[in-house]
Amino acid sequence: MRFVLTGSGASRGMALGRARLQHPSRYLVDERPLPEDEVDSELDRLKRAIEIAREELALLRDKLHGAMAREVAEFIDAHSLMLADRELTSGIFDLIRRGRMRASAALNLQRDRLVAVFEAMDDPYLRSRKEDVEHVIARVHAGLQRESSSAERKLAERVGEILVTDTVAPSELVPLAELGVLGVVLSSGSRVSHGAILARSLHLPMVVAAHEALSTIHDGDLILIDGEAGEVIAHPSSADLARFRTWQRESLQRSRQLALLAERDTRTHDGAEIALYANAESAADIALARASGAAGIGLYRTEFLFLQRRELPDEEEQFLAYREVVLGMGGLPVTIRTLDLGADKADSSGLALDDEENPALGVRGVRLSLRHPELMRTQLRAILRASAYGPVRILVPMICAAEEMHQMRALLKESARDLRSAGHEIAENVELGAMIEVPAAAIALAGMIHELDFVSIGTNDLVQYTLAVDRNNDHLANLYDPLHPAVLCLLAQIIAIGKRAGKRVSLCGEMAGDRKHTALLLALGLTDFSMHPGVLLEVREMIARLDLAKLRKHSAALLRAPTRERIDRVLARMGA
Amino acid sequence: MIERDIVISNKLGLHARASAKLVQALHGYQASAFLVCRGREVNAKSIMGVMMLAAGLGSPLTLRTDGPDEEAAMNTMVDLFERKFDEGQ
Repeated sequence: MRFVLTGSGASRGMALGRARLQHPSRYLVDERPLPEDEVDSELDRLKRAIEIAREELALLRDKLHGAMAREVAEFIDAHSLMLADRELTSGIFDLIRRGRMRASAALNLQRDRLVAVFEAMDDPYLRSRKEDVEHVIARVHAGLQRESSSAERKLAERVGEILVTDTVAPSELVPLAELGVLGVVLSSGSRVSHGAILARSLHLPMVVAAHEALSTIHDGDLILIDGEAGEVIAHPSSADLARFRTWQRESLQRSRQLALLAERDTRTHDGAEIALYANAESAADIALARASGAAGIGLYRTEFLFLQRRELPDEEEQFLAYREVVLGMGGLPVTIRTLDLGADKADSSGLALDDEENPALGVRGVRLSLRHPELMRTQLRAILRASAYGPVRILVPMICAAEEMHQMRALLKESARDLRSAGHEIAENVELGAMIEVPAAAIALAGMIHELDFVSIGTNDLVQYTLAVDRNNDHLANLYDPLHPAVLCLLAQIIAIGKRAGKRVSLCGEMAGDRKHTALLLALGLTDFSMHPGVLLEVREMIARLDLAKLRKHSAALLRAPTRERIDRVLARMGA
Repeated sequence: MIERDIVISNKLGLHARASAKLVQALHGYQASAFLVCRGREVNAKSIMGVMMLAAGLGSPLTLRTDGPDEEAAMNTMVDLFERKFDEGQ
């Protein structure tokens, strides 16, 4: 039966696919004893479910592509072998046959027995592989719970999977996208969480805060999601499917249209030149940045080098990664941000303090770097060595005070001196700038602007800290408002101070890539934007429609507006 | 029947993916194959058995094959352990 869930749209685009519920604990478990005359049919149900699970794994394996494909394929092979292994299955069949348990209860008992064996293992990695058992059992559970009609199942076999779960870690998203997952539905979460930001950058449609999703959608149901409207449609009607096909056609046309803009300069309608930089962390981002005609990389995140591993990356490994980016950009400037391990980014390298009471206000960004000067020296040396291959700028996150900049500058100078005396070729001058994302830095900027070679505004955190709103808290999503008068006031001030001092000011938060905010940012005087390369052409198209001189006339009115409502009115007058 | 003693040298030990490679590599050999670790013996052709052995980095292991092609099966196993399951570390 068709039904619609409404959440909030976190990443645009539609996707049609099979729901894949990632919540083993939520599978219905029937604990009633099994009557003797149902034993055979229950055994058949289980055999069928195992068969379905194996077929799904085989389908999934065929769809793999991308950098993680090999590793993911190995996991799939392991899981397929486990499903075929009598040591796993015969125990379950026994529990049904002799223990008179229903298949779902037998699955759980067998899972618990096996998990207990893993939990007793000494080696932490091997112990963590109880996940493989849980994953395989969950797939069989899913096979038991197929509810779709056979016609729908046929269609569902041809499309990929849409993950339905409660939360998803940013680090899980990339492998998921590479696995061919078409979209994500979360029962909680907010559109400004890291996961949502990453989904947008991966062009992975995502609906968050669809609160009923886990209790109403079954594994294997055909679902249609609309990441713009924030809608999840289970068992879509033929009208829904028609709407999806129309969207597919239009989005294809639209991307062809946008592709024409790739070679153009970025200019407003009245001819003012604007610079559009790309945010990047992967080779795919760099390629897309080049293909979209970005002016350079405005924010190169380095955290991925440090995450999901046991030891820290050494200078050589980092140098090779940074050089790759610099070479990839072919002479365009690359802004490399020093390590910004924060509270909401999983960390396995043991750097961040665990169990901080309030990690958003804890040891992160430059605070972490200055506590581990060796770590920072290694990173700065690697960046400096990459500077021999093309223009590089260094961006320091979470700056609060001029003293932190002094210390970073001293580390940079020392690293440059050491490298030169060791005979390394490095660029004459590597600019050092600060990320302005803490209100203190924004407010005190006039006093420290002379310490900075450039400024980059990180609106995601600036908004969160200015408004005291946790951006991962979905109960506060409506309070997380980048157009709050206080935020606009800070943005205007940062841009004006930078301009007066003759320093470049760019903005690299989510706002920069959101066409809804382009007119506003131009009105406030911003000329350098940095955004995910996937949205760069859309923003270029928007800028070409706007008249800078006209927009600038509204800036005073924007900054005078005392309420969000009045701000919206000014924006409406601006035609934004 | 032949036996060989080795020490596990891949960093992650006999986890699911490595176990899968071992089971896949033995597929097609007639000989039976067993792993013995700390007095426990498991069928090397069963992925669950191999995983449950909980053999991590540095664990001493006895490989045993028995059957018409026991030599080839043994070489295949030893080779895989020596290549560290192609995990690079």
